Amino acid sequence: MTDLKRINDIYEMYTSFTDAEPNGKFTFSAKDNLTSIDFESCAGSKILSGYRPPFDATPIKKMREAGGFLQGKTNMDEFGFGTFSANSGFGIPKNPYDLNRSCGGSSGGAACAAAVLEDHVALGVSTGGSIVCPASFCGVYGIAPSYGRVSRYGLIDYANSLDKVGVLSAKAADLGKYLRIIAGKDEHDPTSCVQPDMPEKDRAMKSVAVPKEAIEGISDKVMTHFEASLESLRSMGIDVEYVDMPVLKYAMPAYYVIAASEASTNLARFCGMRYGQQDGDLSLGFDAYFTSFRSKYFGDEAKRRILLGTFTRMVGYADRYYNKALRVRESIIQEYKKVFTNCDAVVTPTMPFISPRFDEIANMSALDVYKADFLTIPPNLTGMPHMSVPCGYSDGMPVGLMFTSDHWNEDVLLSAAVEWEKGFEMKRPEVKA
Amino acid sequence: MDKEIVERVARIAHLDLTEEELERYGEDLSEILEYFQMLDEIPGEDTLGFNPIIVADVLREDEPRMDIEPEEILKGMKTYEGYVRGPRLS
Repeated sequence: MTDLKRINDIYEMYTSFTDAEPNGKFTFSAKDNLTSIDFESCAGSKILSGYRPPFDATPIKKMREAGGFLQGKTNMDEFGFGTFSANSGFGIPKNPYDLNRSCGGSSGGAACAAAVLEDHVALGVSTGGSIVCPASFCGVYGIAPSYGRVSRYGLIDYANSLDKVGVLSAKAADLGKYLRIIAGKDEHDPTSCVQPDMPEKDRAMKSVAVPKEAIEGISDKVMTHFEASLESLRSMGIDVEYVDMPVLKYAMPAYYVIAASEASTNLARFCGMRYGQQDGDLSLGFDAYFTSFRSKYFGDEAKRRILLGTFTRMVGYADRYYNKALRVRESIIQEYKKVFTNCDAVVTPTMPFISPRFDEIANMSALDVYKADFLTIPPNLTGMPHMSVPCGYSDGMPVGLMFTSDHWNEDVLLSAAVEWEKGFEMKRPEVKA
Repeated sequence: MDKEIVERVARIAHLDLTEEELERYGEDLSEILEYFQMLDEIPGEDTLGFNPIIVADVLREDEPRMDIEPEEILKGMKTYEGYVRGPRLS
């Protein structure tokens, strides 16, 4: 058995991979919702089993052109629907610090690969926190850039006004190095074509704001490390101030309405023709065929979000939910812009608790899981770049610190990550024998 | 959310749900939507954007080209004489 196969058998971070000797300048993995010609791309869903795309997603294409060797596709919640990577159709990735706990989600496999593999960079995708949450739980660095910074061509959509491709690594400098490779305008994705260029030299972070509303409901274990992190930032010469951002509490419902609405339309394409599984009974009529197929292969959370998103767009409800959520998103963007007139970044814990055990996750309701995202949702809803850095360990489990900056100001986050790393002692997980 | 509405939504979404699923998803959606009522508290902006950034139309030159050969795309599909096979129309 090869070393990689042995490691993957333990952690289940890959849905498919090659154990061939890497032959590139660097080795990387890609989340399973990014299409690639040499691996299946299933987005964690049984409905896409067997799907071999005929093209590479732009971020993967750019990584290969830069000399990267794609080692495999990382496990994830089905279509990105989850916070713990427990909703995959292909096994559940295990936290490298405790196999009984979650890697976080939905880019759980990506964070796990970044944590357990040496000199590895993982491409992840974030819709509501799916890069920073697993980065926090697995003790690595992770950045989700501004919406539109990285082309989404070849990304299997979850929610197209929210999806962002980003980078995870155990090394802070990798975030900037590889983000610059995958960023840039792409004629295949018009939302990538309005971006300003990233500056060649990253600007220093000088001041941060802590929203008072965002530090309510944080577990003691996380809060202890957050407060110590603020002291560390001060010792780095960064001003820390507290601000009021009362609209942040509306981000979670606004996000889930928009995300589910968009997901319910995006998933309409999966009907048993053209992609993945196509084993339905073709003698059935159109409606019966599509219905039987979707009912058989979509997982539990996918069905829940399709129902939620279909409802929030229905005649009679759309104004109250979908259209209202879009207006609330604008309010939250304005609130952030106001705060950024006086500081470079907003800082909060990444997640309100350390990675939960799988038995604890099994006892959470759908709403409990959605609420767990309340810190990571605001920057995602507003399309603002955000990053998690490891900031401590509680009961042996990593704790993450999240920075959010204004649209297109990734460079301020990248410089902060490199400075942070100089004063932080990372404890890489011991890879099981 | 009562069972009739869940059934109606499921029909629109092309999902065939069991009795147990109808009940469970109905309870979940009721709890979720009750929480989402907080959106009624905030007026929101007068304008609404479909993207979080301003997106402009970006058009390339209208020149025909082939990025991927159709045969490559058809390899993953059920086909008959070059056509994609689908269910009956009626």
